[in-house]
Amino acid sequence: MAPPPIVTGLSPNEGPPGTRIKIRGENFGSQPSDLTGLTICGMDCLLTAEWKSPNKIIAISGPVKGKGDVIVTTKYGGTGTCNVTFRGYHLATIGPMKESAVWVEETPMYSWGRHSLSPSSFQQEDPLGLSVEETENKISEEDLQNYFPGKCGDIGSPNFSPAWFLLENHHATSFNDMKAGLIYLIRKVQHQKVGQLSFLKANLNSVIDQIDTLTNLREKYDKDLSVFGSTPTIKLERAIKESEREARKLFDDVLARKDRAEKTRNALNVLQRYKFLFCLPCVIERNIKKGEYDIVINDYMRVKNLFDKTEVPIFREALNEVEKRIVDLQTKLHVDLQSMPVTVEQQKRLIRYLISLDYPQDAAWDAIKSRWEHITKRFKEIYNFHKTNDKSESAKKQNSASKYSKTQIEIISVPACINFIDEICAVTSELFPDFWKIGQAYFSGELQIKIEAGRQVEYKHMVLTAIETFSKYVRASIIPNTLDKSERAQYGSLSSLERDEVALYLPELLRSVRSTYSTLIQLDLPNEALDIIGGLLVDLRIHCMSILFQQTTEQIKQLTENWKISFSGKYAGVTDLPLKFLMLVEDVIQIVKESALSAEQRESSLLDNASAQKELERQVDNILSAFYTVLNNLSSNEDYDDCDNNSPVVSQLIGTPVGTHKTSGAQDIPTWEHRLLITMSNCIFTKNTILNDVSQKFKETGFTSIDAPIKTNGNKLEMLEKLILDKYLEQKSDPLVGTIEPSMYLGRFDWDINVLPTDIRPYAKECINNLINVHSEVNNISTGLLNSILVKIVETIAEELYRLMSCVQKFSKEGAQQARIDIEALQDVFQDYTSDNAQGYFKEALAHVPNLDGAQMALVQDILKQCKAKMKTQILCLKKR
Amino acid sequence: MAKRPAVQPALHKVIMVGSGGVGKSALTLQFMYDEFVEDYEPTKADSYRKKILLDGEDVQIDILDTAGQEDYAAIRDSYFRSGEGFLCIFSITEDESFLSTAEFREQILRVKNDENIPILLVGNKCDLEDRRKVSFQEASDRAKQWGVPYVETSAKTREHVDKVFYDLMREIRARKMEENKTSNGKGKDKSKKKKRICRIL
Repeated sequence: MAPPPIVTGLSPNEGPPGTRIKIRGENFGSQPSDLTGLTICGMDCLLTAEWKSPNKIIAISGPVKGKGDVIVTTKYGGTGTCNVTFRGYHLATIGPMKESAVWVEETPMYSWGRHSLSPSSFQQEDPLGLSVEETENKISEEDLQNYFPGKCGDIGSPNFSPAWFLLENHHATSFNDMKAGLIYLIRKVQHQKVGQLSFLKANLNSVIDQIDTLTNLREKYDKDLSVFGSTPTIKLERAIKESEREARKLFDDVLARKDRAEKTRNALNVLQRYKFLFCLPCVIERNIKKGEYDIVINDYMRVKNLFDKTEVPIFREALNEVEKRIVDLQTKLHVDLQSMPVTVEQQKRLIRYLISLDYPQDAAWDAIKSRWEHITKRFKEIYNFHKTNDKSESAKKQNSASKYSKTQIEIISVPACINFIDEICAVTSELFPDFWKIGQAYFSGELQIKIEAGRQVEYKHMVLTAIETFSKYVRASIIPNTLDKSERAQYGSLSSLERDEVALYLPELLRSVRSTYSTLIQLDLPNEALDIIGGLLVDLRIHCMSILFQQTTEQIKQLTENWKISFSGKYAGVTDLPLKFLMLVEDVIQIVKESALSAEQRESSLLDNASAQKELERQVDNILSAFYTVLNNLSSNEDYDDCDNNSPVVSQLIGTPVGTHKTSGAQDIPTWEHRLLITMSNCIFTKNTILNDVSQKFKETGFTSIDAPIKTNGNKLEMLEKLILDKYLEQKSDPLVGTIEPSMYLGRFDWDINVLPTDIRPYAKECINNLINVHSEVNNISTGLLNSILVKIVETIAEELYRLMSCVQKFSKEGAQQARIDIEALQDVFQDYTSDNAQGYFKEALAHVPNLDGAQMALVQDILKQCKAKMKTQILCLKKR
Repeated sequence: MAKRPAVQPALHKVIMVGSGGVGKSALTLQFMYDEFVEDYEPTKADSYRKKILLDGEDVQIDILDTAGQEDYAAIRDSYFRSGEGFLCIFSITEDESFLSTAEFREQILRVKNDENIPILLVGNKCDLEDRRKVSFQEASDRAKQWGVPYVETSAKTREHVDKVFYDLMREIRARKMEENKTSNGKGKDKSKKKKRICRIL
C-alpha cells in the first residue's frame, strides 16, 4: 500500500467556478490511471482532473462556495488529506446592487464538468423577488423598442427603463404581487444599506483614503479655480484640441506614408501570392524553349483551375498572356506534329500535349493525315528524282561523249527504275508501319480522343490508297503491262529495261518487295490491303519467272558446239553441248525456284496459279525448242567446209582428186560428216537422257505440267535425228554406192569374159574398204550409231548389186563364177550388218547370176576361201564384237 | 485552523511579496517541491503548506504566494493581514523590483501595524551574476536600515532557498514565544517594540 496522497499546494487558492487549479502535493500515484478521486470543497472534480505527475494535478473547480479541502484519492494510497484550502466564490453574487471587496476576474469563465452553464443559472435574480414568467405572451423586443425608444430593460444598463423591465418580465403579474415585489425590493435595498454600513466598516481604510483623495481633489480644484478662473476647462479643452491638431499635423504625414506603405505592401503581397500566375508567361516560354512541355501543361492546368473564372482584370490580363503563349505552343506543337520525319512515339506525345492543352482541332487525325501525305509526297519525290535521273541517263547514253557525265553515269549505272523500286520499297517499309501504328493508336482509343464518325472509312481509304500507289509504282516500273493505259501514263514513264538487265535485278527486286510485304504483314493490315501487294507479288513472280526463262532461252540460243567428243564416262560419244544445255536449264530452275517459285509468308505456290502454269509451260517449250533449233542449225549448217570435203569415200579407183588436208585454219572443226554424226549423237543423247534429266529436275523443283513440251520436243528431236541420219546416209552411201558401177566396169570389163576368176574383183574390195572407212568414221564418233548407219549402207549396196546384176545381159561361165564370188564375198563380209532387206537384195542379185555346175562351184568356194584368208583383217573390222 | 486536531504542530504563516516576475513562485516551488519552473505564469494567490523539522521541532509552514502585478495591489491588504512573516523579494537583475521592495514593506507595516513583524529582504536570481543591477552592498545597506537580514538566493540553483524560509520561521517562532510571554502578562508591549527598533537603529 502506497502512502496516502497529501495536497500541499494550490495555485490559485481561490476562484469562481471553473477556475483552473494546479494541485500540488505528494503521492498522487505513478500514472494517470492511479488517480481515482478528486474533490474540491466536497465537489467531485475527477472528471476535469488532469494527472500531470506524482505531485501535480490540474483540475477545474466546480460551483462551490466557501472554503474547503482538496482531497485526492489514489488507487493504492486511498483517500488523502489536505493541508491547504480552496475558497470558491460566485461571481453571480456581484450585481448592480452588491458591492464586492474581492477581486473579480474579468475573463470569461469556462464551463466545468457536466454542469454546463445553463442560461438561467447565472441569470440575475429578479429584483422584485418574483418568479420569472413563462415566455409565452411576451411582448416582442421590437414593440418594446417602439414604446421606449433608446431605452432597454437591462437592469445594469445606463438606459434602464423600469417600465420596459416590468413589461418584459412581469407583463402578467398581478398588482398585488407587484406590490409585494416592491416591498421586497425596498426591504432588500434597506438590507443592503445595513450591509453597506458593515461593508464600510470593513473597508474603512479604503473609504478614508477615498475621502482624502476627494478632499485633495476638491482642494486642488478650488486652487485651480482661483488661479485659472471659473471655467478652467475651456482653456484646457482648447489646449487639448490645439495639441490634438498639432499632433494630427505631425502624424498625418506619417500616417499617409504608413498608408502608402501599407498599400504597397498589400500590392507586393498580392504579387507574391500570385507570383505563380504573373511569372507563368515567362516560365512557360522558358520551358517551351527547353522542351519541357509536361511542365508547361501542368502549369497551364493549374493556372486554369485557379484563375479561369476570375473577374480580376489583372489576373485576366495575365491569363490572356498565358493563353497567348499556349496558343503559340499549340501551333508549334501542331507544326511539329506534322513535320516529318517524326517517330510515332514523338507524335503520340505531341498529340497528348495538344489534347492536354485543349487544342480545338483533332490533332491525332491531323497527324495521321500528315503521315499519309508524307508517304504520298515521298513516293512522288522518289519517282521524280529517278525520273530525272532516268532522263539524264538516257540523254547521256545518247550523248556519252560528254565528259562531265562520266561520274554521273557510274553512279546511276544501276538502272533508274531498279533504284526507284528499291527506294520506294524501303520508304514504304519505313514509313507505312508508323502510319499504321498511329492509325491503330487513334482508333484503339489509346490517344484518348473521341473518334469522329466516318474517320474509320476515310482512314481505310488512305491505307488502301497508299498501298495501291506503292503497288502501282512498282507495277509501272517492272510490269507495265498489268496496268491499264491511263495508269501507265500516271505512274510509269521510266525507261523500260533490257531483258538481261531485268533478269539481273529481278530477284533482288522481288526480295525488296517481299521484305516490304512481310513488314506490312507484321502490321496486321486488313486483308484487303495486303491482297493488293499479294497480287503485285504474284504478277512480279510470274514476270520474274518468265524473264528468267526467256533469258535462258536466249542463252541456249547462243550455245555453240566445240565438237569435242568426250569418250569416257557416262556421256561417252557426245560433246558437252547437251550438258551445257542441261546446266543452263538446271541453273535457271534453281534461280526460279529461289526467287519466284518458293512461296513465302502469305503467298500461294506460284504453280497454283493458272496463268503462271500456262506461262511456265510456254517458257519450257521455248527453252526446249531453242535447243532443238540449236541442234537443227548445227545439222543443217554445211556452208563452211563443203569445199574441202576430204571424204575418204570417194573412189580412188576413179581417181577423183583426193582432197588433201589443206587445213584452212579450221583444224578443230571436224568434217561435215563428222559434225553430222556428232550432232546426231547429241540429238539422241538429248532425247534419251537429257530430256529425262530436265523433266526430272523440273519435277523435283515442283513444276509438274511440263510433260507436254517434253514430249513434243522429244518427238521433234527424233525427227531431227532421222533427218540427220538421212543427210549422213546421203552423204556417205551415195558416193559409196555410186562408185560400185563405174568400178565394176572399169577397164571395159564385161561379165561375158573367159578369164577364170582368181580373186574377188577390185570393185568389191573397194566397196568393202569404203564400208570399213565409214565404219571407222562412225565408230570414231559413237559406236551406238554403227548399226543404224551401216545397215542402211549395206542395204543400199545390196540393192545396187541387185540392180547391176539384173542389168547384166550375158554371163560367160567364168563371168558367172566371178559374179558369184564377188556377191557372196560381199554378203559374207557384210553379214553382221545385213538386214533382211539386204539379204533379199543379195539373194535377188545371186538369182540373176546363172547357176554353175559342181566343178565350177568348187572353184568358187575355193577362191572365196582364199579371199577370206587374204581379207582377214578387213572382215574382222566389220565383225561385231 | 480550528478543524485540525489539537495535536497539530505549530503553524507559521509566511507570505511572499515582491514585484511581478522576481521569482516568488519559483522560490516557493523550489522550497516545497525541489523543482524549478522555467515558464512564467503570473500568480494570483497560491497556498502551500507542509510539515518540516525546524531545529528538531515539527512545525508546519504555510506559504501564501501572492501576485506581484500591480493589478492585484488592491487585494493585497486582506492577504497581508493573515501573514506572520514576510519574504520581501526582488530580483538583483532588476532595479525597479529593488525599489518597490520599500513600498511592499510600507504596506506590510501599515496592514500589520507592527514595526517588528518578521521580514527578510531577499535578492533572488543571484545565479545571474553577469546581469546584476543591484549590488550586494546596496541591498544589505537597505536591509540594515530596515533592521532585517538580507539574503541572496537562486531559485534555480536552490542556493540559500531553505535558508531564507528557515531563518524567517525561526524569527516567527521567536516572536511568537515572545508574544506568548507578553500576552500571558499584559497585552502588547509597545515600548519593547520601540526599544527594539532603537536597538537596531
